Amino acid sequence: MSELPLTAYRCKNCGHIHYPFHDRCLECRGREFEEIHPQGSARLLTYTAIFNLPYGFDQQSLILGIAEFENKVKALGQIKAQSVNQLKAGMTVKAVWEPIRSQPEGVVFGLKFEPLET
Amino acid sequence: MPLMRDVAIIGAGMIPFGRRYEDSLLDMLASASLKALDDAGLGNQSVDALYVANVGGGILQHQTAIASSLADRLSLLPAAAETIENGPASGSSAVKAGLLGIASGYYETVLVAGGEKMRAGDGAHTTDFASTMTHPQAEYPYGVTMPGLAGMFARLYMQKYNLTAEHLQAVSIKNHEMGALNPYAHFRKPINRQEIFDGPQAALHNPIVADPLRLYDLCPTSDGAAALVLSSVDVARKLGRPYVVIAGFGQATDTQTLAERADPTELKAVTLAAQQAFTQANLRPSDIHVAELHDAFTILEIAESECVGFFPKGAGGEAALKGQTRLGGSIPINISGGLKARGHPMGATGVAQIVEIVWQLRHELPENRQVPNAQTGLTLNFGGFANNVLCFILRRAEP
Repeated sequence: MSELPLTAYRCKNCGHIHYPFHDRCLECRGREFEEIHPQGSARLLTYTAIFNLPYGFDQQSLILGIAEFENKVKALGQIKAQSVNQLKAGMTVKAVWEPIRSQPEGVVFGLKFEPLET
Repeated sequence: MPLMRDVAIIGAGMIPFGRRYEDSLLDMLASASLKALDDAGLGNQSVDALYVANVGGGILQHQTAIASSLADRLSLLPAAAETIENGPASGSSAVKAGLLGIASGYYETVLVAGGEKMRAGDGAHTTDFASTMTHPQAEYPYGVTMPGLAGMFARLYMQKYNLTAEHLQAVSIKNHEMGALNPYAHFRKPINRQEIFDGPQAALHNPIVADPLRLYDLCPTSDGAAALVLSSVDVARKLGRPYVVIAGFGQATDTQTLAERADPTELKAVTLAAQQAFTQANLRPSDIHVAELHDAFTILEIAESECVGFFPKGAGGEAALKGQTRLGGSIPINISGGLKARGHPMGATGVAQIVEIVWQLRHELPENRQVPNAQTGLTLNFGGFANNVLCFILRRAEP
């Protein structure tokens, strides 16, 4: 499986994992970090489907969720599902790096989660 | 930390929230401010300073430096003036600025105003505006909205504490019922249970907006403004009528992203802000007679009622269902209708919450909205998704 181009940060002092970037560790205020990438499959922690979308999205709804990877990186992503009925908290999802929105400046890529079990 | 001297609230005013297409942002702020100044008996006098809460002027109205405009418009010159922007907690942050200005001894009288004009644009742009407070890399690009974050929070909270839609509906029903009695509320109509929750057309009238949250779990998008006049207690005593003292305040922050919280169901900043306020006021949650909580989403009123300490963790839903948060209950919450029915013009909300408590503590409300003999009140106002929270505890003082 290719590495996701999402950079998370492990504090070199206490090991706390951060995503997104912080200048100082949220646990120990250390300033040195090792760059890491999400590893393995992820566990879906929570999710929602939203139907009032902000400007910049053409579709009628969007399914979003927060997942935790095997190396403890936690991140928000869009979910590739037709309905929240296909989802449950705790299920395994596979993360991919795909277009998440289009802007006049070009396509923006980000995390998407594919359910691996129902 | 104790304040260097007590600070009083001597004036309160607001304009009805809702759709105010005919009014500019400045029109609304000026109207509310004049009401507060008149209420304080300041007549044609000025104030030492004004703090003006507004979030979206720069984005939605293409207008910045709002406080300077208001000082000019109200002929408060040469009073010091600052615009305060702290997301949906801006109103409380402006009150805090006024509080510290007077508590330090630097100012004697301060005007605090909060206002927002949110209905001028289309829904997608307004939703985008609110989403600008999410993380610019880890959240915003994905299209997440504030209701979206609330939906993810609600799913976790409801699972953890076995809450059902019925618990959320109890909050919505109560707040609409109270909003119907409040001439300043955006929504002035009680919920018809059959139409909205139980009947065959319920799904149509109350659709999912951010699963599991439905339309009637969300506050509306509102225009509105509210204002207060703060002063030293020396000034307040000369008025010869009951006034309100800020007995305690607290403020705390939390991670910007929901994903980075070890337990996203813990609203840590809410708990900490309330604890600070109670310590400063030397009061306990059971000492509070009336509260205005930040119910931008029904689930939040339940969660906050627990974090603040009115109910044990996991008991807020049942308390709402059993009527403990109604007028006449053990702790009446959002008797104004809350954000849910009074409305949520972002910059105005924190100020409006305190205006409501001032009216409650001065015993000026009609019987169907007045908490009998209320002596103490609490407000909780939060920014972002609970990542910047302010809490105030107010008490009635006799002249």
